[in-house]
Amino acid sequence: MKIEILFPEVCNLFGDMFNMKYLKMCLPDAEFIETALDDVPTFSKEDVNLIYLAPMTEKTQEKVIERLLPYKDRIEELIEKGVVFLFTGNALEVLGKYIENEDGSKIEAVGIFDVYSKRNMMNRHNSYLIGKYEDIEIVGFKSQFTMMYGDNSNSYFVEVEKGIGINKESKFEGIQKNNFIGTYILGPILILNPLFTKKLINKMGAEAAIALEEETMTAYEARLKELRKLPIEK
Amino acid sequence: MKKGIRFYIALWGAKAGSVLLKILRRNATFFPGKFALKVCPDFIKKIDKPKTIVAVTGTNGKTTVCNMIEDVLKDNNYVFIDNKYGSNIDAGVATTLIGGATIMGKAKKDLAVLEVDERSSPKIYPYLTPTYLVCTNLFRDSMMRNAHTEFISGLLTKYIPKDTTLILNGDDLIASNIAPSNKRIYFGIDKLDTDGETCENISRDIVVCPKCNTKLVYDYVRYNHIGKAHCPKCDFSSPEKDYLVTNLDLENKKMTLKSGNREEVYDLISDNIINIYNILTTIVVLKQIGLNSNQINESLKKQKIVDTRYSEENVNNIKIITHLSKGMNPIACSRVFDYVRKYKGNKAVILFLDDLHEAANGSENTAWQYDTDYEFLNNESIKQVIIAGARYLDGYVRLLIAGVDKEKIVHKRDELTAIDSLKLDGIDTVFILHDLYAMELKEAAKHKVENIIKSRGE
Repeated sequence: MKIEILFPEVCNLFGDMFNMKYLKMCLPDAEFIETALDDVPTFSKEDVNLIYLAPMTEKTQEKVIERLLPYKDRIEELIEKGVVFLFTGNALEVLGKYIENEDGSKIEAVGIFDVYSKRNMMNRHNSYLIGKYEDIEIVGFKSQFTMMYGDNSNSYFVEVEKGIGINKESKFEGIQKNNFIGTYILGPILILNPLFTKKLINKMGAEAAIALEEETMTAYEARLKELRKLPIEK
Repeated sequence: MKKGIRFYIALWGAKAGSVLLKILRRNATFFPGKFALKVCPDFIKKIDKPKTIVAVTGTNGKTTVCNMIEDVLKDNNYVFIDNKYGSNIDAGVATTLIGGATIMGKAKKDLAVLEVDERSSPKIYPYLTPTYLVCTNLFRDSMMRNAHTEFISGLLTKYIPKDTTLILNGDDLIASNIAPSNKRIYFGIDKLDTDGETCENISRDIVVCPKCNTKLVYDYVRYNHIGKAHCPKCDFSSPEKDYLVTNLDLENKKMTLKSGNREEVYDLISDNIINIYNILTTIVVLKQIGLNSNQINESLKKQKIVDTRYSEENVNNIKIITHLSKGMNPIACSRVFDYVRKYKGNKAVILFLDDLHEAANGSENTAWQYDTDYEFLNNESIKQVIIAGARYLDGYVRLLIAGVDKEKIVHKRDELTAIDSLKLDGIDTVFILHDLYAMELKEAAKHKVENIIKSRGE
């Protein structure tokens, strides 16, 4: 089992790297490959079981787009083949059509998904989220400068029960296509959502038990109960 | 500058409001400024300001540095205005300037020391030009407000006035690069025996060269991105320091500060590297204002870190240390965890890191816990970790992921009940680590620990 973490030296904000550390605890025999910005991605040469990209700064988004653009066809091929991807926070934006700045200027992105995002750097959005993914509930937090636009009504990650979707008017959060999952939820999403982690591991073709199952489930259930009582925005 | 009627309505209204609030024994450190800015949005620009303004900003240490600067100035009979008891955003700064102005808006004093929240830069610096702006450091902070260091350093670079002289931590590769065209003074601490070749922290926010994207080579790492580094491809590197600590003698609590060919020895009031940086920053600022080393050192020697941030006492040969450990601030907590693990003897650690406002009104985003080095608490000398509060279940999971032995952890919702499980056998020091807004809880916890130790001795 091979798991490729893209650009961890610069794409590592908001504690997201612990998604991979936790996955390592769940899959102790898996090989974790850390691909730096200057490296040739492993996925370009061979199939892997999971490709992970964590949140990054706005300047880093431009570097990542530049690095991934030559592999656009290969990424599309892997998505079609059912390879599992997990892109968290603003990582998803790099695969959209473009990212628009406040002054209207645009940063052309990789262009795999028919969505775009708009930045509003002086208004950071913070909110809670509860949403339905298949037969389970996802909990999480959003903290972002951008909103995403485009029709994801047939390709969303979770249907929002509480919180916002890809923008304040949307009830559909993130993008899912085959086993590609991209979400604005950030932070340790796998630790916060043990039921989802189980599904993700299964999608990767493994049967391993999740680590600290009892403790993470207790925290998950308490959070679900707590978030249900709260207003959406922090 | 023509002030206009709105300015005077704002000034007089704010001054009247300030008097009224004081009569009512209410806090008058924020609302007068808020009112003035509402009536006259460019009030800070229009009000007359002291000739010399020292602004202190940065992720960590700005309050402590301001407190120390102010205490030394007072001890040396300087008169000045400050926002020590007020807020560090635009309304707090406006309130301080109102308090320091005559009824006609003229400055009464020649010197101001202002703590300035770095996120508030766009609302302050277009209207106020600090003579000196100190940046203590720039780290990951509350993600909900400050996002990341690139955003904050970008704000500072964009809004710091061109005429301001910067006083920068030269050991911090992010802080030392803000507003690159401004005149600057760098301070730092030379390589220490405890510095390493690799970073043992989770987060390091400058890994590649901001000029050419090449991976930086760290000559040594102190913690996170603090240290000395250079780019192997271009000319980017840590700056040469104008003020450099060349000898840190922790045993005798002294440090030698070199500037040009001159060397001066200062007393240290703390052995914690964070506070040594704060002391160094304070000294460099005070020297710019015009104090000599003797004036600075004699005053600094008399100071101590305020009880709200650090306290220690001995009860029946067991030390109780309370230490501020700002929740949602990964680096602040990591530095304290590092201090705890390296502290001599066996320790029990009590953690109250929840944001109590979030606990009462929301659900804290715990992502920051995963930028925080909880792994430092996985240490042989730490015999017990008690974690309590609204996020006790998340804290428990985090400690387990950090590798802390399940048997060592007590996790309970109620903070004071959790302390009942404190085990003192073989313990030399009990640390109580608490958030900034948990002072009452800290005091209650301290008393409870004192009583447990005393009852054990009877």
